[in-house]
Amino acid sequence: MNLEFFFYILLNTAVVLLIAPLFSGLIKKVKAWTQGRQGPPLFQQYFVLFKLVKKEVIYSPNASWVMRAAPFLNMAAILVAALFVPLVFVTEPVGGIGNVILFLYLLAFARFFMALAGLDAGSSFGGMGSSREMSIAAIIEPTTIIVFAALAIVFKTTSIFSMFFTSASTQALVTPTIILIGISLFIILIVETSRIPVDNPETHLELTMIHEGMLLEQSGKNLALMELSAAVKLTVLMALLINLMIPAGLALSLTAAGVVIGAVLFILKGSVLAIIIGLFESSMAKKRLFQVPSLFAMAFFFSTLIIIIEVFA
Amino acid sequence: MIAELFILALLVLLAGFIIPLVIRADNTLLRTVSYGCTILASLILAILSLPVLLGSGTITLPAYAPAGLFSIGFFIDRLAAFFLLLIGVVSFCVALYAIEYSEHMDGGVRRNILCGATNLFVLAMVLVVAAADTFSFFIFWELMAAASFILVMYEYDRPATPRASIFYFVMTHLSALFVMLGILLLWFESGSFALERLAGTPSLTATCAFICLFTGFAIKSGIIPFHKWLPYAHPASPSPISALMSAVMLKVAIYGLLRFILDVFTPEIWWGVLILAFGTASAVLGVIYALKEHDLKAMLAYSSIENVGIIFMGIGLFVVLETSGLSVLASIALLGALFHSLNHALFKSLLFLTAGSVIHATHTRNIEHMGGLVHRMPVTGALFCTGSLAIAALPPLNGFASELLIFMAFFTSVTVVDPLLKVFLFLCLALFALTSALSAACFVKAFGSVFLGMPRSQKSEEAHEVSPLMLLGPGILAAACILLGVFALQVMTLAGFSVPLPDLFLVGLLLLMMLALTYAVLFFISPRTSRVSETWGCGMHFQEAGAEYSGHGFSEPLDIIFSPLYRTRIKNERAFFDEHGVIFQSGTAEIKLLRVFEEYLYLPVARGFVKISATIAQFQNGCLDTYILYVFVTVIALLVFLGWYV
Repeated sequence: MNLEFFFYILLNTAVVLLIAPLFSGLIKKVKAWTQGRQGPPLFQQYFVLFKLVKKEVIYSPNASWVMRAAPFLNMAAILVAALFVPLVFVTEPVGGIGNVILFLYLLAFARFFMALAGLDAGSSFGGMGSSREMSIAAIIEPTTIIVFAALAIVFKTTSIFSMFFTSASTQALVTPTIILIGISLFIILIVETSRIPVDNPETHLELTMIHEGMLLEQSGKNLALMELSAAVKLTVLMALLINLMIPAGLALSLTAAGVVIGAVLFILKGSVLAIIIGLFESSMAKKRLFQVPSLFAMAFFFSTLIIIIEVFA
Repeated sequence: MIAELFILALLVLLAGFIIPLVIRADNTLLRTVSYGCTILASLILAILSLPVLLGSGTITLPAYAPAGLFSIGFFIDRLAAFFLLLIGVVSFCVALYAIEYSEHMDGGVRRNILCGATNLFVLAMVLVVAAADTFSFFIFWELMAAASFILVMYEYDRPATPRASIFYFVMTHLSALFVMLGILLLWFESGSFALERLAGTPSLTATCAFICLFTGFAIKSGIIPFHKWLPYAHPASPSPISALMSAVMLKVAIYGLLRFILDVFTPEIWWGVLILAFGTASAVLGVIYALKEHDLKAMLAYSSIENVGIIFMGIGLFVVLETSGLSVLASIALLGALFHSLNHALFKSLLFLTAGSVIHATHTRNIEHMGGLVHRMPVTGALFCTGSLAIAALPPLNGFASELLIFMAFFTSVTVVDPLLKVFLFLCLALFALTSALSAACFVKAFGSVFLGMPRSQKSEEAHEVSPLMLLGPGILAAACILLGVFALQVMTLAGFSVPLPDLFLVGLLLLMMLALTYAVLFFISPRTSRVSETWGCGMHFQEAGAEYSGHGFSEPLDIIFSPLYRTRIKNERAFFDEHGVIFQSGTAEIKLLRVFEEYLYLPVARGFVKISATIAQFQNGCLDTYILYVFVTVIALLVFLGWYV
């Protein structure tokens, strides 16, 4: 592992951890505005995390090592997955880091333990959340893989790093294919981060919740880890979309100026995307669980269309 | 040296077979010696296969030829060595486990048959893999079928076993029949039983031979629609035997398919498409049926169908790419299929053995009656969790490494010429992704309902951890699952293949690093106290196991989404006193699970055979005069035929 990659690991992890609560806070704020509410302060997420970390953890008597280990395993997997998506500067990857399939399966690893933790306490809410989360994750998977296969075809590589290199070096790559991929990626982002119309991150009503249901038994620092990892996952998926579509500002080498400019531009672009996500969520109602597959069918259609365009063009 | 070691392993297995059957005493030591033979022979096999696998050349053993055309000989090349390694590793761990397990079983001296037949079964599988010609291949194939039948039949006094065994017996002989037909057709084509390449494009006979062999191997490896014997035979047989059958015997069938495709036939592209299509169907349907299953072992059986489907996908992709002239890409697909065979053997035997421990402790196979076992059987729980992670293809374990190889082959297969084929490949890719995600859901359900939450029955409440020897076998397998995953790239490089695998060791290291970092940070900034308090019981005073999410409930959303595939019929008929349908009079309701393959495929075929048999049976009326008439007519017909023909 060379020194530059080591710096990359430090920088990417630090940036993603620092920015993540901001974006999820911004989405909350936008949603509040559209509903005519004041909403929480922009930095409320940071305070919430700090408060949770300082609190005591409460376990159910049924809970086993799964409940205790899951928040840490979940966080670790999401942080490693975050290394696969360069936020502010791209370097030469080491040892196959950046492989799209490995990226997806690291997210699956995190989800696996989150779902098990949902079942561990023996509460019916946790089980309901786990069941729905795993079901939805399973039926979105064909779409996800087709979208990433389409990306692999368009960029002729399976490494996210190389994709970013290509997109950053050929600035005007906004072809119809990329736009279609962008739409599909957006849908995947909405699904993977449990947002409306698939899930509602704000509710604790048993009939609608999925992701929140799994976390119902979590408390204290464990809950903080779960919340932070969800925010990091959101940021990483947003970064994937941003750096593929509008890579402007993405530094191609490790220079202080490049990194600072990259970070500032990334926060700007990310904020715009967060506002779009907030508006998108506000303009929709949550779909019934069994209407969700038809939404996925649409995403699947779009991504298959890309493949067909690429294959026959 | 290797040849002598191989003979030694065969003799040790033979000894392990004969000793407990000749000395018919109900003695623990005797059975331990017998299993000791399996362990020793497996160890020898695993060791001798390594040098061949790393490329020290093919080992040939002189053929024994009792009669001109027929001969029995052995040879071990890299492919055979790979499967010998697989057999060796798995039967080593299974036999370690079985020593203790079989002592907990009922049956007295009958248990001698169990350990003897286990040796015979392993011996037969070794012989099939090492067979040098098609004739001996078939002989040993039959031996394998017979030995496994005895093992499935072992607990014949349990109500479901005889039916399951007969089902297995019929299916396995159907498989043998097709394999025999294929081998005979090959003999017509080439005039010998040798495993030689047929030159040129395949003739009609060769194509028919391939179809027959493919069907034979598909039945044996449980490819849908020939899969029905697996969910019957696995729950019926003792757990170590399920592990051996699912982990090893299915792989022997895959070995057969690979051997004929690689060494005998020159495949055409549609063969690959055929294998790929069957593989994809098995993978998706296998896991969808596994989700619905609440019998722990039947669920694992369906999951085997899924994994064999994935292996078939790899093989099919290999044939498609090879015939399209992309041999580098094709070799990645083939490596993926082979690696997944080994990995599936490891994690599926691990899962079957730990499932065996769970069933031993709870006396039930129904996952709805388990729960809370992670507190009562912590080591078994951790081992089962490792197996679940591996089978759900999560990095950095071995299941992920092999599926990733197949994924990479799919991703880069866009250079295939035919656009229609590309669309087909992408469809398979999408279904492959679905399979893999569904299997994660399936094993969250399995681990969650069996080990987490509260115990849902008295037996589950009283369960206790199994003895150390029953943990050692699965423990070795779990370690192998982790090591083969983490060092996948290094192992492949050592074997001399350059593969587009990411370095999973690095990923594992990064995971540990992030874990340590998170833990360290929270250790210092967060209070280290924790409190135990009751789970919220939705307003009830105490929590009850009945209110917990059950396995059935867990898979309900997927049940509904895939309901067209399950073909569940819900009938609800109600009669009312009044015409508005308000005052309820009486009604019936039923849920009928349609067994699609049984009702639309197996039973019609069986009924057809019964009909034909009935027609033929009319000739046999028990009257001597009629029989003399038959003989007379036959003789006349023969005379006429010979006079006319010669």
